[in-house]
Amino acid sequence: MLEIKDLHVEVDGKKIINGLSLEVGAGEVHAIMGPNGSGKSTLAYVLAGREGYEVTKGSITFDGQDLLEMEPEERAAAGVFLAMQYPVEIPGVANMYFLRQAMNAVRKARGQPEIGAAEFMKKLREKARLMGVKDELLKRDLNFGFSGGEKKRNEILQMAMLEPRLCILDETDSGLDIDALRTVADGVNALRDPSRGMIVITHYQRLLDYIVPDRVHVLARGAIQRSGSKELALELEEGGYGALLGPEFAHESASAGAA
Amino acid sequence: MAVARRTIEPVPAFEAAFAQARERLPGAKLPALADWRQASFARFREQGIPTNRVEAWKYTNVARVVNVPMGLAPKVQVRLDDLAPYLAGGPKARRMIFVNGHVVPELCHIESLPAGLRITSLGKVLEAEPEKVTAILRATAEDDRSFTALNAAFAGSGAWIEVDDGVEVVEPLQLLFLTVGRPEPFMTHPRNVVRLGKGAKLRLIETHAGSGEGQSLTNLVTQIELGPDSALEQDRVELLNDGASHIGKAYVRLADRARLVQTVATLGGGLVRNETEARLDGSNIECLLNGLYLACGKEHVDNLIRVHHEKPASHSDQFYKGVIADRAHAAFAGKIIVHKDAQKTNGYQKNDNLLLSDDAEIDTKPELEIYADDVKCSHGATSGNLDPVALFYLRSRGLERETAESLLTFAFAAEVIERFSDETVRRQVRRVALSRLPGGAALGDLA
Amino acid sequence: MASALDQVREFTGNEYKYGFVTEVEEDRVPQGLNEDIVRQISAKKNEPEWMTEWRLEAYRRWLTMEEPTWQKPKYPPIDYQAISYYAAPVQKERPKSLDEIDPEIRKTYDKLGIPIREQEILAGVAVDYVFDSVSVATTFRKKLEELGIIFCSISEAIQEHPELVRRYLGSVVPQGDNFFAALNSAVFSDGSFVYVPKGVRCPMELSTYFRINAAGTGQFERTLIIADEGAYVSYLEGCTAPQRDENQLHAAVVELVALDEAEIKYSTVQNWYPGDKEGKGGVYNFVTKRGACRGRKSKISWTQVETGSAITWKYPSCILQGDDSVGEFYSVAVTNGHQQADTGTKMIHIGKNTRSRIVAKTISAGLSDSTYRGLVRVMRGAEGARNYTQCDSLLIGDRCGAHTVPYIEVRNRTAKCEHEATTSKISDDQLFYCRSRGIPEEDAVALIVNGFCREVMEELPMEFAVEARKLLGISLEGSVG
Repeated sequence: MLEIKDLHVEVDGKKIINGLSLEVGAGEVHAIMGPNGSGKSTLAYVLAGREGYEVTKGSITFDGQDLLEMEPEERAAAGVFLAMQYPVEIPGVANMYFLRQAMNAVRKARGQPEIGAAEFMKKLREKARLMGVKDELLKRDLNFGFSGGEKKRNEILQMAMLEPRLCILDETDSGLDIDALRTVADGVNALRDPSRGMIVITHYQRLLDYIVPDRVHVLARGAIQRSGSKELALELEEGGYGALLGPEFAHESASAGAA
Repeated sequence: MAVARRTIEPVPAFEAAFAQARERLPGAKLPALADWRQASFARFREQGIPTNRVEAWKYTNVARVVNVPMGLAPKVQVRLDDLAPYLAGGPKARRMIFVNGHVVPELCHIESLPAGLRITSLGKVLEAEPEKVTAILRATAEDDRSFTALNAAFAGSGAWIEVDDGVEVVEPLQLLFLTVGRPEPFMTHPRNVVRLGKGAKLRLIETHAGSGEGQSLTNLVTQIELGPDSALEQDRVELLNDGASHIGKAYVRLADRARLVQTVATLGGGLVRNETEARLDGSNIECLLNGLYLACGKEHVDNLIRVHHEKPASHSDQFYKGVIADRAHAAFAGKIIVHKDAQKTNGYQKNDNLLLSDDAEIDTKPELEIYADDVKCSHGATSGNLDPVALFYLRSRGLERETAESLLTFAFAAEVIERFSDETVRRQVRRVALSRLPGGAALGDLA
Repeated sequence: MASALDQVREFTGNEYKYGFVTEVEEDRVPQGLNEDIVRQISAKKNEPEWMTEWRLEAYRRWLTMEEPTWQKPKYPPIDYQAISYYAAPVQKERPKSLDEIDPEIRKTYDKLGIPIREQEILAGVAVDYVFDSVSVATTFRKKLEELGIIFCSISEAIQEHPELVRRYLGSVVPQGDNFFAALNSAVFSDGSFVYVPKGVRCPMELSTYFRINAAGTGQFERTLIIADEGAYVSYLEGCTAPQRDENQLHAAVVELVALDEAEIKYSTVQNWYPGDKEGKGGVYNFVTKRGACRGRKSKISWTQVETGSAITWKYPSCILQGDDSVGEFYSVAVTNGHQQADTGTKMIHIGKNTRSRIVAKTISAGLSDSTYRGLVRVMRGAEGARNYTQCDSLLIGDRCGAHTVPYIEVRNRTAKCEHEATTSKISDDQLFYCRSRGIPEEDAVALIVNGFCREVMEELPMEFAVEARKLLGISLEGSVG
């Protein structure tokens, strides 16, 4: 479904990703772990099409299409969804209104009819209950004044509503306490589906106790250094990057397994 | 020595118009009133029309549109249906309607008022109580402003509103000024007086709308007196045509613990200049001034605000936002003046602008003048484009670029729109704002 | 116990410690101004014909101009015919070494705390001294010459480097730019000239100390600094004047030119005599300072600490012509007693991706009045221009004023301008906290004020920062307690 080949990315002339390759098939959940500055968030933004990330080499194809040629909204319509680490606050735009606009924009691009108000509300209520998102939060301005946990749940709610084919979760666990983490993980697990691929980016093994990945990749210095089964995450937790990747990586982030 | 002039001599047409008007104005036969008008006209001529060399008019070339031959406003017939798009305040709202500056009694709804509330036309009170009324009108003569003098020379039309001590008016009052364009340029000089007694409350909606083609000038003066513990919520909406110039100044005086919430939206007009001068002549006053301007085409909008903290412990807040598109030009000059001894003042001011085109222009001048040390004052001004991160976020959820831009632009404006006190006004402003924003039609259900 | 507020009411004033007069023989032109005087000044300086003509043109322009009145500080009319436009310490010939400088002048500088010799050698600062109207000595010339850097008085530059002077003089501040710049162009007596050639990084701070000494004179120095492609120079300017009853006029012009990738850092510590505690005397500091970032990626940075003068009225500005050029303005203005200051900057964005940053700190005490006035203008073609402005005012006592008057004019949609300003006082809590830790009140005020100004102070070269900090303390002496 997703094929990243020898990807090189620069930001402000600085090399961040250096030759990253990754394949994600339908129904698979891939975890990407790595220390700060390893290029995790850059990868997420490049997949979603944020400006300012210059791909100097390599390719990304999604269902056979060249993803790099597409605008952010075209990617969304094609089924790419990025749950952001820091969802943007937009005062003046009601959460519910925004969701409906987004849903209809995506449906329109996919050649589907607009969703009726009643049907939309029904679906929204149902998904919101699942994610533990209160009615009051739906009426408020988009992410404005939301707590960290509320923002993350709202992201997963959007994901549930837009029904993407590829979900990218960028440090969705950061800033969450254990209860909030469980709610968010339950929401994500509910979306696991044989037709849907997922990339779960995280700093800590903890999240992977709840969202169990099929594959784990360790990203450092802009490339995948090791890949393996879910046990690799535990190994990383035990020994840190130094033990796993060799002493030259020891200083990258001592905190990798500390949480 | 060649020195550029600061003011320009008014064209002779003003003289002719005044000669014609002074015989017809209400109370023309009363010597005191006639003398005052005559003296005011003399002052106008002497002061002249300001050029850009006058600091307060630095960004608005007013003479270009004002110093042209204009006649007195003709009376025209309108039907209630013509006014429907501009009505606000709900079915129970009281209403005064002015067409080309003339009050239209048959369209007004100001009968059977409760005790302690007086709503009438300036013309009527001038004839009924010339001495009292003239004394009140004269208060603006302290201001060295030629348009105020010009307004005084022609004073005779407008609304007179008095709310007695302790009277809380439940239903809103709408003053609707409709300017109907004519082939011949004309001018009107309305003056509104709003006086709230101790503890009185009122919600006022002021609508300035235009229809038809042709050049016109509305030279408005508003006097607002707020007694102790009184509260005025004033919503003003300006929906004028390209040929319309609107120059208005509100003189506001607030006593102890009075509260003013003024929210203004400028959504059209060839040249709109709004001035508010608020004197906080007491303590624990709250003075909130909000404004939104959405300027398109070749429109020119200029807001000038002066808030004087004259006594200790009052609070003022100016919150103005602007969206400037096409070849439009907007200016904002806000000033907080904290006088000596006005300790414990809180004064805030914010002016944010979005430029949507490289042919558009914004000039902003947020100013603080402070003579007391125990104060908290701050101001901020920004000019820029939409936040790229927010834009990306919306697009990553599937919104097209244009839709995302319109939505963010509307959201930018919405922060002010939500501050209107009347829900019908909010809806009206949302609707007009969307119609003026590029791509706003696609967001239709937001209104 | 009296609150801080009560204590600040009692303004006692402080004595100006640089207020002494040096007894030296002077050579001065008669009072007044006309074409003859302009010619005389030019002749005294043995100037070439083109320079005399340039001055006369400026004088004729000045005659047609009106003295501006828009500024906040008001002052009694200046009688331009009562000023002597040229006063020079008598010297038979230019000193060949520092030892030949008039001992009286040397003493003056010693009293100012800037001995001409060893000290600046230790500090690595090259100094040009302007005494009243003429440049007295320039140290370190030789070392600079080896690098191709020209650092001399502007009079010498006119004689020895006429091609550079003709090319750049008046190219940033034209003769008719404003009333005081025109006056300066007609009668300027001396000042500093710096040229840093391509690719050269000036290895030491260049410095000028200005001092008005003679009575009834004005000082009209002219400074011109050119940084050629890829060059870097940091320039420091310090000013003092003796205590006199009458007001003295200081109307300088400073022009900076930065070519491609060049950088000029210009720092000023201004401590002209502010007048006595009744507001009598003091210097009128009406200065035009402007830098042109002509080349791409060029940078001009103004840093000023203004503690002196009866009236300070100046707006060091940057014209950001080159793409990606950067303008900065860091300012501390302290007023006490009857002082008035109206200062700020202008940032004119012309080139693409030009950036400017303004940090202005205003401190008013006593009966003084201080205004920040600034202009940020983004022209139509200035794609991607950025400005950030922060103005903070601190009031000490309830009889002073602090004002902020920013103008922001934007004509490009991709430009982003941000302006923030606050006004506050030194809180009783802060003062009490410091005092309860054993810091005397006056020191506590200096401490808090220094903290308030830190962002600007950090921009000053080290040896200047120390002096500036001391000055802040001295200027505010007597503002509390």
